[in-house]
Amino acid sequence: MPGERDPLPALLREFERLHPGVTVQAEALPWTADVQHQFFVINLEGRSAGFDVLMLDVIWVAEFARAGWILDLSDRFDAAARAEHFPSTITAATLNGRVWAVPWVMNVGLLYYRRDLLARRGWAAPTTYEELARQALALRGEGGIREGFLWQGKQYEGLVVNVLESFWALGTDVLGPSGDVLPDPALAAAALAQRRAFITDGVSPALVTAADEEVSRREFGAGAAVFLRNWPYALALFEAPASPVRGRVAITALPGGGALGGAHLAINAATRYPTQAWELVRFLTRPEAQRRIGDAVGLHPTRPALFESPALLSIFRGARARPVTPWYQTLSATLQPELSAAITGVKPPARALDDARGRLRYLLLP
Amino acid sequence: MTRERRVAADVAVLAALALYATPLLWQLLTSLTPDATIAAGAWPRALSLEHYRVVVAQSPLPRALGNSAGVALIATALAAGLGVLAAYPLARLALPGRRLIMLAVVLSTAFPAIATVAPLYLVVRALGLRDTWAALVLADASFALPLMIWLLVGFLRELPPALEEAAFVDGAGRVAALRHVILPALAPGAAAAALLTFLFTWNEFLFAYTFTATEASRTAPVALALFPGVFEVPWGDIAAASILAALPPIVIVIVLQRHLVRGLLAGSLKD
Amino acid sequence: MIARGERRFGLLLAAPALLVLGAVTLYPVAHVLALSLQRRVPIFGVADWVGLANYAFLTRDPAFWNAARVTVVFVIASVAVELALGVAVALALHRQQRWRAIALALLLLPWCLPGVVTARTFEWIYHPTSGLAGAVARRLGAGAPNWLGDPSLSLAALIAADVWRTMPFVALLCYARLLGIPGEVYEAATVDGAGRAATLRAITLPLLAPVLLMVALFRTLDALRAFDLMFVLTGGGPAATTETLALFAYRSLFQTLHLGYGAAVSTVVFVLVGATATLYLAAGRADATR
Repeated sequence: MPGERDPLPALLREFERLHPGVTVQAEALPWTADVQHQFFVINLEGRSAGFDVLMLDVIWVAEFARAGWILDLSDRFDAAARAEHFPSTITAATLNGRVWAVPWVMNVGLLYYRRDLLARRGWAAPTTYEELARQALALRGEGGIREGFLWQGKQYEGLVVNVLESFWALGTDVLGPSGDVLPDPALAAAALAQRRAFITDGVSPALVTAADEEVSRREFGAGAAVFLRNWPYALALFEAPASPVRGRVAITALPGGGALGGAHLAINAATRYPTQAWELVRFLTRPEAQRRIGDAVGLHPTRPALFESPALLSIFRGARARPVTPWYQTLSATLQPELSAAITGVKPPARALDDARGRLRYLLLP
Repeated sequence: MTRERRVAADVAVLAALALYATPLLWQLLTSLTPDATIAAGAWPRALSLEHYRVVVAQSPLPRALGNSAGVALIATALAAGLGVLAAYPLARLALPGRRLIMLAVVLSTAFPAIATVAPLYLVVRALGLRDTWAALVLADASFALPLMIWLLVGFLRELPPALEEAAFVDGAGRVAALRHVILPALAPGAAAAALLTFLFTWNEFLFAYTFTATEASRTAPVALALFPGVFEVPWGDIAAASILAALPPIVIVIVLQRHLVRGLLAGSLKD
Repeated sequence: MIARGERRFGLLLAAPALLVLGAVTLYPVAHVLALSLQRRVPIFGVADWVGLANYAFLTRDPAFWNAARVTVVFVIASVAVELALGVAVALALHRQQRWRAIALALLLLPWCLPGVVTARTFEWIYHPTSGLAGAVARRLGAGAPNWLGDPSLSLAALIAADVWRTMPFVALLCYARLLGIPGEVYEAATVDGAGRAATLRAITLPLLAPVLLMVALFRTLDALRAFDLMFVLTGGGPAATTETLALFAYRSLFQTLHLGYGAAVSTVVFVLVGATATLYLAAGRADATR
């Protein structure tokens, strides 16, 4: 868990008090997702009971379920309990009609904007990317604004997330309902071309092609841009006392909905203590625990009931899960260089997606 | 050329080589520059050891250096031990299929690690050796052992052919001749070969990156590649970590240069 | 009798090493070939024999051909520049009369570093705003290039970093060869009244040529297999402009989860390396008979 005031140790000690005879050890994994993933793959493949409960990135649940590394929780985590969480988080944890993990913390992509600049023109927040581009171009150049729209275009998972959000805004997706790759290639190419156009038209600066969450956040936080696509954590940083944009930033939903991020809790299939492990999962995902974690580390609960602000609630309700498939790793690793080629102008968007589709058709097995 | 001009030319060559090493010197300078000065993009007025303190006290690098040392020493020792035993018959005895074996050995020094990493990964996985020194020693043997054999065969061929004969005449058996006559004569060459092998195993990256999962077995190059930087990239700390990870190779080049060069030339000019 | 005992003794000594070698080199190569004929996804327990399907896909996979193209450009450019620079440095070293040990040490420093150290060093040098390369470019009026982020610059930036760390090896080998040329050859040339440039062209370079061929092949081998520098410096990006075959094989093996297809790509790398190694050995033998 990132953040200074880590609430986890206190929660674990409380659990131990409630369940005498049980001790819980927490192990913090390295920060990078790739390294965590490699750790899990190497350890879970050995079918060892080295750990009982694991925190999984939302995009790994289907993969780990198919690999047989985590327990089927459908019976323990019944329909009533599932209804207490946002539907998108349950979708991300479901494979073949069975549920394999319990939502723990949640993230959603959202749009930050300079409400002072928009208010001066009497504009409402944009509801489409076309409108966003128009507003960005019009406001660029006034009062220290160097850039219009900042997003994450570096060749990594973040790029896939951003492009997916463009796909969704135009009404298409990477995988169709029956798992076919790029069901509407023309629409997808148009969405990708729109992203490339952000750069060539000057809506976004060239630096987005190497930007990740932090680079883009830093730039927006210095007051240099009108719009920023990022995760919710940045808001607290923008409202910090010394922030140049304090009091001038507002958030709204992304056109088409923001991508779902965050983590779930799952149980190692090789665990020797399934009952106690399930108790721990239930304990850590109950409303009180989720609220404490959310407050401390800038991540959000997965329970709608815990949201006080209606605006934030509706943004989180609009979260969409990335394609829920055991092959998500393959999908992302294949898409990243192609998407990067398209937004840097190395390949035309249609050809990039065509190349991606050809590869994915060979690599994605049923 | 007059003496003064020759000296000037010699100095010029040294200066040019020092200039060539600028990237490394720049990294060294960065490692000693305080964070604020790095951020400002200015020349440092005062040098600071803060980055080294951070790396030594708070990063996984010290443990990784220990892992690197352990793996490199064990792999080199293994390669040297087995290598000497194999090189002797290949160089100086009538071993059947000698030519073919030597060809196979030489070719296997050229094996790309990317070709062997997947099967070795499956083997490591099956043997439950994930995240251990043993996995790395095994994988490193794939290039360390043939390299050792190749170099040692070269050095052995340099020794006078009648060396063992003298010992036999004195009544010594083959094993004794090997121990008391051949090995001491081979020692300087073996040292050179071991240095080179240690250097290559210290620097090895692909196997180390693929077979390790935690700090328990991560080597220095892998730790450097994964160097933590949660939000900002800590260039100063990374520079300090780079210098530390490069210390043994640098020491070998500066202090043991003659032996290293001997090993390098032996491997490349002979067949 | 001596001969038979000698053979047995030799086999006994060599056996352990040869067994280990077989286990960690020959067996994996055979296994990789077998893997390349399978559809193999270990974590999902998928293991089917598909014959040459992976290779068939490889021939029409644009990502593979991109990696092949990048590899060819990288190898040719790297080796060419290394050779030119290396020969020049070797000639300069050859004329060096004092402080040779210091010169050699300085020369070998870039070569001895772990590839990751070189990668991190150049990553910092190529930093778009705070890097040394950018500062030099600004001085020369060339603006602020995004060395590693611009698809048109990234491969050149990578080649520069690779040449930096490999040139010393070329220089050292050529220097050693130059040391082997007897002084009388040069004396004869000066007696005949030949100038420096003429000597270089007519005598030194032809004598260096066989070594240059071997060094070129040797370096080609290394460039084909190179992994650590590009993996850490660029990861194959941006947009696969620095993704060599070795990096592409790695991505296929461990990031797309398909061990079978990755094995096919690895086999291609292996065959290329094997062909180059065979050329190297043949050249070496030709040189030895000269």
